[in-house]
Amino acid sequence: MRRDTGCHRIDHALSRRGFLAGTAAGAAAMGGVLTPAQADQLQSGQKRLLQVFLQGGFSQFETFDPKPGTKYGGPFRQIETSVPGMMICELLPHMATRMHKLSIIRSINLRTNDHGKGRLFMEKGRNVGEFPYVGSVAAKYLAPPNPTLPTYLHITTRGLSDNTNAFLEAQHAQMKLPGTKAPDNLARPDKLTVEAARRRADFRAQLNERFSGGKGQSAFTETFDSSFEMAERLMSQKGLLEAEPSGKDLERYGSHPFGRRCVLARNLLQNGATVVKVTHHGYDTHAENFNFHLEQLGEFDQTFCMLLDDIEATGMLDSTLIMVYSEFGRTPKINQRYGRDHWGASVSMALGGAGIKPGVTVGATNKEGTEVSDREVDAGHLFHTYFSALGIDPTADHNVPGKSIPIGDPAKSSIKELLV
Amino acid sequence: MSNRPAPPPLPDDPIDVKQSHVVAEFQHDVALTTCRLDPQARFAFAGAEDFNVYRWSVDGGNESKTVFSGHESWVRCLDFSPDGERLYTAGYDDRIGVWDTAAAKPKPLEMIEAHKGWVRWVKVNRDGTRLVSCGNDNLIKLWSLPDGKLIQEFRGHERHPYAVLFHPDEQRLASFDLMGNIKEWDIASGKELRSFEAKFMWGFDQKFRADMGGARDMIFSEDGKTLIVAGLTNVTNAFAGVHNPMILLFNWEKFEPQHKLTDASYKGMSWGVRTHPEGFLAAVGAPQGGSKGAIWFWKPGEEKPFHTVTLSHCGRGLDMTADGRRIAVAQFDGLLKIYQLTRKS
Repeated sequence: MRRDTGCHRIDHALSRRGFLAGTAAGAAAMGGVLTPAQADQLQSGQKRLLQVFLQGGFSQFETFDPKPGTKYGGPFRQIETSVPGMMICELLPHMATRMHKLSIIRSINLRTNDHGKGRLFMEKGRNVGEFPYVGSVAAKYLAPPNPTLPTYLHITTRGLSDNTNAFLEAQHAQMKLPGTKAPDNLARPDKLTVEAARRRADFRAQLNERFSGGKGQSAFTETFDSSFEMAERLMSQKGLLEAEPSGKDLERYGSHPFGRRCVLARNLLQNGATVVKVTHHGYDTHAENFNFHLEQLGEFDQTFCMLLDDIEATGMLDSTLIMVYSEFGRTPKINQRYGRDHWGASVSMALGGAGIKPGVTVGATNKEGTEVSDREVDAGHLFHTYFSALGIDPTADHNVPGKSIPIGDPAKSSIKELLV
Repeated sequence: MSNRPAPPPLPDDPIDVKQSHVVAEFQHDVALTTCRLDPQARFAFAGAEDFNVYRWSVDGGNESKTVFSGHESWVRCLDFSPDGERLYTAGYDDRIGVWDTAAAKPKPLEMIEAHKGWVRWVKVNRDGTRLVSCGNDNLIKLWSLPDGKLIQEFRGHERHPYAVLFHPDEQRLASFDLMGNIKEWDIASGKELRSFEAKFMWGFDQKFRADMGGARDMIFSEDGKTLIVAGLTNVTNAFAGVHNPMILLFNWEKFEPQHKLTDASYKGMSWGVRTHPEGFLAAVGAPQGGSKGAIWFWKPGEEKPFHTVTLSHCGRGLDMTADGRRIAVAQFDGLLKIYQLTRKS
């Protein structure tokens, strides 16, 4: 596979419309105590999805597929985990003690070294066409009828504006939260009285009713309504977004932005969110790959494990699918800047929670990590696996009137050895 | 190229860096990380992106290559006892290796569990009775030699210290960390005496939310009046390595920058610096893009190098003989070159 040694500007462009794709979300902080909302969730058997996205493409060598002492192995050693025989990189000591709760896939071949294409493939499970993201699909089929929060929340300060819901209803689109604060312009303006706001809403409803009577217009009004509904849900949960983490949480998760984002992710999940994606930036390490992975994974490892522990402590692990993933991996070859470049031919990720058999290692790469040597899969197989694990048949069609659109790529199938 | 004949005896010709030429080349099949010449300039040593250190006889050709195997990670810093009998290696496996420099079949005499995390730097003092190291546990440690016992820990860096040195007065240490903090330490008490934030040798990449900085090489001038640091400045994209090299001359008495040598037209990093007995500096650079490295010869205070030697690949380390007549350069392509700074014989 040809190396891509650089990034294109669009891949790193700040989202200008990210916030407009949704408007925001909220959460409450409860630590290990079940809130009424959580109790209801557990009783209802609701399943949910947590995506931890390590943006930029983390190195498989420095995480889940270490090759110490080989040509491209880099300086880090491998360490034993709580699963006999499963070794991971020494940069993940906290994960190492929890690998009996998670599984690893080491044999992902995405056949692309492009940030955008890799990200879309990992999210959509298809490498061409307009299809919804895994988060939007999960939101559509897992969210309760009257959710208290927007159903697909993404905590990030960066990111491209995506059409995540594709042909699915607008309420399943991803809503970006700009870090651990309420989105701008969420609150009712001071000059707008409560009564005036109510009259404005009534007027909008009247217009919608007339407008939606026209042929083919219902989708437009639905999208419009969806934005207002999501904003209203957020306004009602604004305190959740703005709550300062407790001292104990900051100590456990870390006081850095990713720590705070993961506290918020936990609180959102514990308060009824269906899909939460939290992004940790900074893995596109074309230079100083090893120093940067030291820093970034040093932040990620403990923080993620605290989130995992809290999800388990509140009884939600069996009903929450957890993904740790990137848009691709990094080159075996170490460049002259001690960097690793883009690499999609042998990528790793971790999965755990709902429907996933823990402690499994799927696939392998060859001795030097330059190609998959066993059980090659791609993002299409992963997409099937996510939904099989969540109890949704990925071979079924989406509920789109007049069209037959399979949820997963019909040419792919689930990774059976990962499923409970 | 590996069969290049042994270099000729050193002539009495005057130093003329513009006539610098290669007198020996040694090839390894993995990228090199650093290089040193032993005090007697008998041997050239290099760390590599495998777990070994390699030794060549300067006049022995590539066939003299000898492996020093014992670390379980990369080595990026080497130093010697003053008599050249012992080699000390800083391993990214948290250990300091102690070796017989000239051993026919080298084995570690000792592996000291030195830091929790990479050992980034080792330096031996002038009489060979002390060694100082720094590591990813943010500590600086002082060891006694030859027994390898820990004498003192120095706490104060909040991010990784990249390099540490004895001041020539042997009473103080100098250290430099990721964030550009220069610290002076009192050896007897272990206390921090002074600190300076050389923020121009650090950058926070807003887009990628990461810090980039630190010393890639550091020395004192012979008189101890100047700390000289090789590294980077003007970080614009840390993850793509977009920055300029910098050689900082830091006035140790006033504890402030004296000269900042950089070339804005060159994107990349400086990985090594040495002072020449005639007063100029030699530094080695690695580019951000392309493959050509550079050796810069620079007079302190001047804006531009007075001479540049282009390297076939990026430079990863530099050392100089005590008489200033030869330098060694380690390259990314696995090549270790010995240059003579006089006209060709």
